[in-house]
Amino acid sequence: MADFRTVALGAATVAVIAVPVTLALTDRHLADASAALVLSTAAGGLAVSALVLQPLLARGRRIARHQILGTVAFVLVLVHVGALFAESPGDAWFALSPDGPTRARMALIATIALFGAVTLGALRSRLSLGGGTWRVLHAYLAAVVIALGIGHAVLTDGALDDAGTTVLIALGALGLLGIPAAHAARSRRARRGQSSGVSIP
Amino acid sequence: MRRPWLLGLLLALVTAGIVALVAGSETSGTGAENVGESGPERVATPASAERGRERRCEATQSNPGGTNNYIPDAPERDSLGSGFVITGLVRSADGCRPLKDIRVQVWLATETGGEQDNRASVRTDADGRYRIETAPTIPQFGEPNIHVGYDDGRYRDVFIRRVVDLDDARAVVGLTLARRG
Repeated sequence: MADFRTVALGAATVAVIAVPVTLALTDRHLADASAALVLSTAAGGLAVSALVLQPLLARGRRIARHQILGTVAFVLVLVHVGALFAESPGDAWFALSPDGPTRARMALIATIALFGAVTLGALRSRLSLGGGTWRVLHAYLAAVVIALGIGHAVLTDGALDDAGTTVLIALGALGLLGIPAAHAARSRRARRGQSSGVSIP
Repeated sequence: MRRPWLLGLLLALVTAGIVALVAGSETSGTGAENVGESGPERVATPASAERGRERRCEATQSNPGGTNNYIPDAPERDSLGSGFVITGLVRSADGCRPLKDIRVQVWLATETGGEQDNRASVRTDADGRYRIETAPTIPQFGEPNIHVGYDDGRYRDVFIRRVVDLDDARAVVGLTLARRG
């Protein structure tokens, strides 16, 4: 039974990684597109998957995977933005300006929140925040990243339209629901750990 | 957690700030209205332009992003491909009269290249209309957008950025030009 669960979880993970990026890269708007635009689209699609999987990894005992994937997600977002600057610096600066469109405003706020979440994770032991405060702040930033990151992708024309929009909304809901689920799982394990004298990082 | 209400207040304020920032933006960027059309092409008519010299039309204002990827003096070209049309009526703010032989510059990202590759100058006809066919637009930066500009000196410069939907057949961009000075 455990094997079946592992296989099902593995298949779901592969689907979460493969579906958005495949849909995005096979869209007609990338026909004859520049390498920068293809790279940006691929990085954006993979970043969506990484963010959705993050709460799943936070449930487990081995938090290092969660930390690594968080860094990977941030790097993917930087590649996504960097490639857009390579494609057209003027349009990229305009998108980030106060006159930029809503989707770009969402992306900018999500990127700042992602930087905050990754930084909180990296500095956890050095910050004098209580465990509860740290968890609430980290979860809050994660929710902002997923909600606005998915909102940005939904409002963006071209990649992930039609069926892709449904996929995005489903993944966004999965990611957002995963945050309280991860907290509940870690709290349960912490309570069990306390009763058996084992501490949870 | 010693002061949960303080953390709650902080997060509520941050959330309100985020909502205000997102709600305060325009969907397609400041002033970038959707000018796309599909279906049969309609000919723009200069509404009662001939009546009365005192009549005045509001001049078209440049909007942010209007000069993105602008390269002066686009070559005069008959077309930039086929499958999409950019057209419009150019008139004077004074009297609302159609303006003939006005050079309008257009540029946009299409299936054949980016905005700096697809640019052209086109002149208005005797009725003040310009029209140029291009290859279909692509959403290079998340939404198909087109640029129309005028900077030949007789009237005030205008550079505008407008958006269309992916399935639109044309963009209708009228310009009302105000005299310099």
